[in-house]
Amino acid sequence: MTAALEAAGISVSFGAVRALQGVDLVVGAGKLVGLIGPNGAGKTTFVDAITGFVQSSGSVHLQGQDISKLPPHRRAHLGLVRTWQTIELFDDLTVQENLAVAGGRPSLVSTVADVVFGREPRAEQTAEEVLGLFDLQEVAPEMPSNLSQGRRKLVGIARALAAGPSLLLLDEPAAGLDTQESGDLGRKLRRLVDNGLPTLLIDHDMGLVLGICDEIYVLDFGKVIAHGTPDEVRSNPDVLAAYLGKSGQAQAGATWPAVAEGTRER
Amino acid sequence: MASQIFAYAIIGLGSGALISGVGLGVVLSYRGSGVINLSTGAIAMLAGYCYWALATGEFGVTFATGWAIVLTLLFSAVVGIVFELGVVRPLRRQPPLAKLVATLGILLSAQAAIVLAFGDTAHPQPSILPGGNVTLFGVTVPDYNLWMAAIILAAALVVVAVYRWTRFGIGTRAAAENEAYATLFGLSPNRYSMGNTVAMALVMGLVGMLAASIAEVDPTTLVLLIVPGLAAAMFGRLTAFTTTYVAGIVIGMAESVLLYLSTQSWFPTSNGGPLPGVDELLVLLVLVVATFFRAGKIPSRGDIVESRLPRAPRPVAPLRTAAVFVPIAALAMWVLPFGFREGLITSCIFAVSLLSLVVVTGYLGQLSLVQLGLAGVAGFLVSHLSTNFGIGFPWAAIVGVVAAAVLGVGFGFPALRVRGVQLAVVTLAATVALETFWFSNGSWGAGVLGASVPAPSLFGFDFGTNASFHGLGGGEPSPLFGWFCLIVLVVVALLVANLRRSRLGQQMLAVRANERAAAATGVNVRNVKLTGFGIAAGIAGVSGVLLSYSYGSITASSFSALIAVALVAFVYITGITSVPGGVFGGIIYSGGIFAFALLDWFGLQGNWLNLIVGFLVVLSLISRPEGGATFLFYGKHPSLWARAPKKAQSTLPPSGTAHGGTAHGATAHGAHEGNQHGLAPVEAEVTS
Repeated sequence: MTAALEAAGISVSFGAVRALQGVDLVVGAGKLVGLIGPNGAGKTTFVDAITGFVQSSGSVHLQGQDISKLPPHRRAHLGLVRTWQTIELFDDLTVQENLAVAGGRPSLVSTVADVVFGREPRAEQTAEEVLGLFDLQEVAPEMPSNLSQGRRKLVGIARALAAGPSLLLLDEPAAGLDTQESGDLGRKLRRLVDNGLPTLLIDHDMGLVLGICDEIYVLDFGKVIAHGTPDEVRSNPDVLAAYLGKSGQAQAGATWPAVAEGTRER
Repeated sequence: MASQIFAYAIIGLGSGALISGVGLGVVLSYRGSGVINLSTGAIAMLAGYCYWALATGEFGVTFATGWAIVLTLLFSAVVGIVFELGVVRPLRRQPPLAKLVATLGILLSAQAAIVLAFGDTAHPQPSILPGGNVTLFGVTVPDYNLWMAAIILAAALVVVAVYRWTRFGIGTRAAAENEAYATLFGLSPNRYSMGNTVAMALVMGLVGMLAASIAEVDPTTLVLLIVPGLAAAMFGRLTAFTTTYVAGIVIGMAESVLLYLSTQSWFPTSNGGPLPGVDELLVLLVLVVATFFRAGKIPSRGDIVESRLPRAPRPVAPLRTAAVFVPIAALAMWVLPFGFREGLITSCIFAVSLLSLVVVTGYLGQLSLVQLGLAGVAGFLVSHLSTNFGIGFPWAAIVGVVAAAVLGVGFGFPALRVRGVQLAVVTLAATVALETFWFSNGSWGAGVLGASVPAPSLFGFDFGTNASFHGLGGGEPSPLFGWFCLIVLVVVALLVANLRRSRLGQQMLAVRANERAAAATGVNVRNVKLTGFGIAAGIAGVSGVLLSYSYGSITASSFSALIAVALVAFVYITGITSVPGGVFGGIIYSGGIFAFALLDWFGLQGNWLNLIVGFLVVLSLISRPEGGATFLFYGKHPSLWARAPKKAQSTLPPSGTAHGGTAHGATAHGAHEGNQHGLAPVEAEVTS
């Protein structure tokens, strides 16, 4: 069975800084894979690289198809869809329209017909379903700026789902959510994956990542330093060292959620 | 010949110094407050008139040269202070595009004020420089050219020294880097901004007075010096004073040498005279090169920017709105006396022109000042296809519109790399170049006299301005032509409204809001931009076709850069993001029906309207950025306009685990708290 995403030897340099150095990462079909690492480890850069937003070397295969040379929107068409740490909604469009932009790829003929005859583009069924999934139906006609941070996060994820992904990349979806919301989000993600949507989850909420992922990659200084099941990663000394510093190994007894608190970005 | 070229190069020092001076003003404004100030040339013009009035006794008192200079510099400083307090400071937290549009408004007002006060003829003014000659390497040239270059160089060096060695310079640099941190360290960005604006105004005062040596004062020459001045400033990346100075001098020398070369027998001619507009073309070329190869490194400023372009509301029922207004307008075309009818027709035509700005700026978020130039392209094609090739309506019109659209897509390509304010700068230069190089050209354009345009007719049915069917009051223009324009306007308006509701329109707004996120959700940003430019240019072409038919002849001055600036100002106060904004902009546009009413009832010239609208732009950007007509039509839909509960997102506590009620403020974060408990009623959350 072909992997949903296969990234091999991904390297990114910003000037003299080598942000990523030959990262290999595979998301198997129907798998929920976590990507964690301390601040500045290169997690977001990795997402930017495989979605085509920064120049990188190495190869990216989506469902076995080489997409390394494609521009971002073409990758999105093929189903490689991401969310952003900073949410990045279209602030000038309603929630519904945000999803519509992602869902619709109008043909020339239908666009011309819409403009000439003044037809309203019909809401895509997927968009409706996705709104329902995240209890967002009521806010569909709202402007994103009228929503709370938590809801905006959910709209961001909903917009990604409306694009019809074959692989979902979530960049810190739980940042800014409280523990209850984050747990709720985790259960929804798990359900999506179990229904057949492979997902790469990046987050600082260790409880969330360790709790729901099938396997986990740990990134530090642009390299993969560990890879395995949540239990394997939890007990990996390199990982603890990366999070706590070398001297921190002495306190390796610290529990993970506590570590997570201490390293949370922003 | 070599000595001649050398002589012309030295003569070019004079105009080069003026260009450098305007460029320095642009850089000072940008470094001080992040404004790309298109009104620097206009401020120099104000100073020039001030000096002229003082030195020639226009106000009854004639001052000696020395006193006139001192008083003019004082006047410039006051203009600078007023500009700072009235424009720069109130707009400090507005996006760069809004600031740029505000300076366009000031340009418009300054120009209108001068025309109202002193008329639009040129006045000779006494030079402040000695009128001797100097002989260099066997070539004798007037020495004021050297003086001008030296004085502006001195000004540039003073500015450089101040920036490098004084606390003021360091403070300005710090504030530009990060305004919030600068404030934290006890620096006052306001004071630095004021200092730079006044410095800008003083340099402009110098430019205005120095210009006396090579040109008479008039209301346009110095204003339009902003275009080469911007080219020089762009070469200096809007930050380097010495590079800007050198670039300005080089541009001036090159233009002067080009002027000499154009007198040579091998130089391409047009109608027996040398080809016009070659120097403007050169400036455009310089600007394009500067923008493409240097602008990428223009440091963006760490300003605290709060808002973006105003929202583009979704039209609720465009057909119903049209059904209310169209019969009224159609009846008016027949009933109104001829002057008002002509005004209404002009309003319809400019409304179409403004709708092209609604698409390209309102929907797509790119400020293009070349739309009027594209209209001119279509208009001149109609004229030439008709008179030279016997191709009449509708084919000439169709060719004109298609040509404008294709050219518009061409202008879209730079917009893929440069955006927002820099695009405005390049397109402004393009408009100037089109006007002088193409439209003024004796054989391809209108020359001095104008090119004639035969009346439109279809199957032998004439519906031009002088068709035989007359309105109630009799006389021309014929209501037939008015109805034709009205139909075109309605069709274009409905298409633009529908565009906003369509997927393509949503994609445009997505691109406008966030190009990266748009690409990540599968929007082909490049194609959407090019399509938007093409559509907007096509609409501009339609307005150009109508304009050419409405006058029966077409002149270059109908498509001048200053009119392009005025159009942007008018549509900004009525609403750049909506169809009603575009249509009402056409109604109040000077030359339209509202302006005629002012003239007819109150004897107020169109320049009064320009003067007021220029200031209104600044006011409107501060208090009602969506524009009057947009607010009138869509203001009642709270879901479209409801403001965010005071920036809930930027003040969120850093950690998601901090629970509602502890770290949250009491008022602003009500919405956020509501959501903390998952099942809070949605209505309460949104309205709180």
